[in-house]
Amino acid sequence: MSDTRILDRGTPPERFARGWHCLGLAESFGDGKPHRIEAFGGQLVVWQDTQGGLNVLDGYCRHMGGDLTQGTVKGDEIACPFHDWRWGGDGKCKAIPYARRVPLRARTQKYATTIRNGQLLIWHDVEGSEAEPDLLPPELPGVGTDEYTPWTWEVVPITDSHCRELIDNVVDMAHFYYVHFSFPTSFRNVFEGHQATQFMESKGRPDMTGGYGDAELFLKSEATYYGPSYMINWLDVDYKGFQTEVILINCHIPTGPDSFTLQYGITVKKPEGIDDKTAAYISKKYAEMFGGGFLQDVHIWKNKVPVQNPLLCEEDGPVYQLRRWYEQFYVDRADIQPEMVDRFEFEVDTTKANEYWQEEVAENLARKAAEEAEGADGATAGSESDSPSVMTGT
Amino acid sequence: MASFVPTSADTLEDQRLYTSARLTEVACLDCLARVGVKKNSDHHTSIQWSREARESCPELSRRDGRGRDYHQGCPRLLASIETAVREGQVDIGAEDGY
Ligand code: FES
Ligand SMILES: [Fe+2]
Repeated sequence: MSDTRILDRGTPPERFARGWHCLGLAESFGDGKPHRIEAFGGQLVVWQDTQGGLNVLDGYCRHMGGDLTQGTVKGDEIACPFHDWRWGGDGKCKAIPYARRVPLRARTQKYATTIRNGQLLIWHDVEGSEAEPDLLPPELPGVGTDEYTPWTWEVVPITDSHCRELIDNVVDMAHFYYVHFSFPTSFRNVFEGHQATQFMESKGRPDMTGGYGDAELFLKSEATYYGPSYMINWLDVDYKGFQTEVILINCHIPTGPDSFTLQYGITVKKPEGIDDKTAAYISKKYAEMFGGGFLQDVHIWKNKVPVQNPLLCEEDGPVYQLRRWYEQFYVDRADIQPEMVDRFEFEVDTTKANEYWQEEVAENLARKAAEEAEGADGATAGSESDSPSVMTGT
Repeated sequence: MASFVPTSADTLEDQRLYTSARLTEVACLDCLARVGVKKNSDHHTSIQWSREARESCPELSRRDGRGRDYHQGCPRLLASIETAVREGQVDIGAEDGY
């Protein structure tokens, strides 16, 4: 028997997670046109009816398979471009203009919808259960009012990775240092029921971001997944003594067995005495910073392999427990095991890891200083760039 | 029925090692909760609750589970764990990463 460690890539699930999934900002669907959203191995059609309600159906017409996302909104219904069958938000065919009556069986897949924090969420369950309002993410007080900047919203399609890679980052303390160039100074996870939380306090790495500026960036972050795909990340940022409250939404829609659409939004509590334009600017800067952070993750995901049996050291976060929690969304409800939903807490004081990291940073800074003193080739050393110095949640 | 199916039997053993090996039972000194505790080092603590333990804890039961306070640990349980550690009831140190 060889004692070489084998990577078990496992086989990915054949289904998509049960739970609420966010499709985007509600206002982006309100233009009277059908919208196409790739999801759950197919596509959905989203449109607004005359009452202002948003409707979501499977994107393909049950008549002859026409693409409803290329159809037309007529009254409250979506009309198919192929033979003009009219589908209502309740999933029923309401009219066939050339037919005397509509077949009773003319029903398609509809998705329960709700608007939360200005975003459109739908319920997905392969078992076809009723939507569960209790599992919705909480409403964010003040968001959507004048107290906060409007959401900035970004959509990033990701291929060649299962969305579990994104989830794994909830526990991955060390990658924040190596991938996102920040120092976690305290780290904690709690999983219970349908929620999984990461708390982290971190600061920027002075050796990676050009100058010392970012060593003065402190971040207190609390990030909770409400179900399989929707994370709220509350962030208290302290930059050179200037405090900002930021809320980041990190959510995704699975599109295939190894692809998903990442979406993220940022809103900032308008600081006292700052005009709207400046507040919007701050919000945009944060969006860029986190956008850059996600790209750092994406680069890793695209080039790694899936691993079912990660080999951990004792300083690593609770990957196995997190995946056990995540599993609840991929099994029939009747098969949810107690340990998938039982409370689990993990806490690590990152002092030890930090001693090592501080040393490494000090060495990098010293080397850089020496190189500059020698006038070595003008270019900045190593991976210094406009990379963001902080990232949280993922 | 698992959804992410491992292709090696060793993976199941890994799952066991990382999730349930070396858990020491610690009883709360203030309520009937008994939890599994693991300490890989002085700086680290993992706490595995069961449903019964969770229902026994008055502190956690007071929270509605939706607020941002749900993540905070129960201070009485944490104090009980500290006591157990001080009295040498919980081994400190990991075995090959678990
Ligand atoms: S395929 Fe849609 S109306 Fe015929
Ligand atoms: Fe990350």
